[in-house]
Amino acid sequence: MSKVVEISPTTRHEGHSKLTLKVNDQGIIERGDWLSITPVRGVEKLAIGKTMDQVPKIASRVCGICPIAHCLAGIEAMEASVGCEIPTDAKLLRVILHAANRLHSIALHNILILPDFYIPGTETKINPFTKEQPVRSVAARIIRIREIGQSIGMIAGGEAVHPSNPRVGGMYRNVSPRARQKMYDLAREGLVLAREQMEFMIAVIRNMQNREFTDVAGKKIPIPKTLGYHSQGVMATSPMYGSSSLDEKPTWDIARWKETRPWDWYMGEVTIDLEDPSYPVGGTTKVGTKANPQMEACTGVPTMDGQPVEVGPRARLATFKHFDEKGTFAQHVARQLEYPDCLYSILKCLDALDTSGKVLADPIPQGDGSLGWAANEAPRGTDVHLARVKDGRVLWYEMLVPTTWNLPTCSRGLTGAPWQIAEMVVRAYDPCVSCATHMIVVDQENRLVAQKLI
Amino acid sequence: MVSDPYLGKYTTCVSARSTDKEILQKAQDGGIATTLMVYALEQGIIDGAIVAGKGDRPWQPRPFIAMSREDILKARGTKYNISPQISLLKEATRSFGLDKVGITGVCCQMQAVRKAQLYPVNMRDVPGKIALAVGLFCMENFPYKSMQCIVEDHAGQSLHSVKKMEIGKGKYWIYTERGNVVTLPLKVTHKYEQPGCHVCLDYVSNLGDISTGSVGSPDGWSTVFVRTKVGNDVWSKAVASGMFETKPIEGVKPGLELVTKLAKEKIDKNRATVEGRKTFGVNKALRDPYA
Repeated sequence: MSKVVEISPTTRHEGHSKLTLKVNDQGIIERGDWLSITPVRGVEKLAIGKTMDQVPKIASRVCGICPIAHCLAGIEAMEASVGCEIPTDAKLLRVILHAANRLHSIALHNILILPDFYIPGTETKINPFTKEQPVRSVAARIIRIREIGQSIGMIAGGEAVHPSNPRVGGMYRNVSPRARQKMYDLAREGLVLAREQMEFMIAVIRNMQNREFTDVAGKKIPIPKTLGYHSQGVMATSPMYGSSSLDEKPTWDIARWKETRPWDWYMGEVTIDLEDPSYPVGGTTKVGTKANPQMEACTGVPTMDGQPVEVGPRARLATFKHFDEKGTFAQHVARQLEYPDCLYSILKCLDALDTSGKVLADPIPQGDGSLGWAANEAPRGTDVHLARVKDGRVLWYEMLVPTTWNLPTCSRGLTGAPWQIAEMVVRAYDPCVSCATHMIVVDQENRLVAQKLI
Repeated sequence: MVSDPYLGKYTTCVSARSTDKEILQKAQDGGIATTLMVYALEQGIIDGAIVAGKGDRPWQPRPFIAMSREDILKARGTKYNISPQISLLKEATRSFGLDKVGITGVCCQMQAVRKAQLYPVNMRDVPGKIALAVGLFCMENFPYKSMQCIVEDHAGQSLHSVKKMEIGKGKYWIYTERGNVVTLPLKVTHKYEQPGCHVCLDYVSNLGDISTGSVGSPDGWSTVFVRTKVGNDVWSKAVASGMFETKPIEGVKPGLELVTKLAKEKIDKNRATVEGRKTFGVNKALRDPYA
């Protein structure tokens, strides 16, 4: 007889989401639904009628962790719609900015996941905020890597968080030779730290993978060898940067994409009948509470060939680098393997960058309303923005952000895991939920509003 | 530390002149700001300085980031209209890659720098990167069109031909390449001042690390107030390495008395304007910038 348990909200990731889980008598998940409950941002509606220069800047405000990915994807979607080719040096600056963003995001994610893991060879879980060694120096290294990522982003992009330098047609400014050297020095320092950090993290992850049990709220919970396995496909457009409809050979196929509603993917109304007050932090949802994932999920469900897919570091490595591991730990390992990639990309671009080169296209076409899309490989997966621009104004705009792709896929990956470690499976996707939320589904009485329109 | 209601807080006040002949050739007075920035750059105290360089039109300043002695020297001399220095403050730490920024500017710009440091809204990572702020004395400033009017209509000179402009001894002085010298009484130029200057309660850049201007010192010399620890450090090292000749301010004519007199004049007049704005109009007031 299956029971329903709900973890709401989930913790240690960006945004608000919850897990509604049907579990068997042994506490193993039979069907899991992971859904976003972050309030809607409404960016796509705000965009309509705004100028093509404004919209990517607004889009970047959807979140504070990968705003750079949203800004760049937005800008490139506009460029794809109007048919604007940008100068090489502008492209190089964008790749530097993008790689710097991924670098600091991976480091931030390390902090978020470390409390799930043990110091190898001990029964002590890692508290990244402790003053004790060796964790103290790891935390200091993480902070420095983030600082390096953000400083490089700040120089190339104008701001560390919401970049001001990129614009439709290229970049506002090229950097000075001194700034280029500064980025180079930072990247060199970062490379050493990132390599150490990668090795440390992989050791910690492998140690966890080899354990039989983990401790959650004083209980020994078995770790299945197939934790996080699912049989959905993977999707990635590039190992580092992305692709757009302007490319000679675009690596994302718009014809295979179809957006469906949460109604079709999530379970209907259920009553919670399993509760664990000791579950950190503050216990699970009380018995008797009603949950309705179909109604509560406030994301679309994008599909490729009719199925949800996984995006993110594992998807990138599986698509482009023959990485053949699966599941939660494989996702973690793949993310760490991207550390040096980010810095090598930065260094390569800096070598090729001409600081006196032109960074703005001239002229910039104003668009005839044709559809353009750009996919940017954000830290947590493929971020596709689609736009139609006419006479410099946005007619239509859509964001298919990484976590939107991952929400239904991860829901499938939850099956077979003990419910107490379901959050570990979720965290391996490095979820960034606020940007994934982009439509309103229910009204105050929890009824679906205008189903046909959304 | 001396604290004066009109001259602000300062540790030292001297009359000084640069010892660098090249700087003095085109300097407004004692070449203090230019020499300080050159010294700070050469000593690694700053990586670059935001200075007022040449704009698109004659005598129109445009701020730029000078990263060499040659660049700093391009900014010598006073241009009597607005150079938006702060517009480059953040950019200096971004695409220019500066970690230690030097900035020159008039009183209101020093206020803006300090405000940016205190409340770094939209100025992330900027506060700690301001290494030296050199303030200039300022009675008022003119929009570009006003200066054009003064020089071309009132003085009858072409802006292209002007070699130097100066405000001193109660007059607006215009010197041209061919040797013409025109003086205009300041009462002619008052109406051209930008209105924002009439609520400014600072004459000697109270918030600079070091502030300097011609008033109070003999021709070719400048009065220098050293105000902060940073300012004192740079100033004493620069003097010790022979960048400046100095005289005690008490020993020169007209001395601090004139500086205080002019500061009092400006501040009292402007304070009256600020007060007057409170009751300006019917049932409404103009904004009090200090409220």
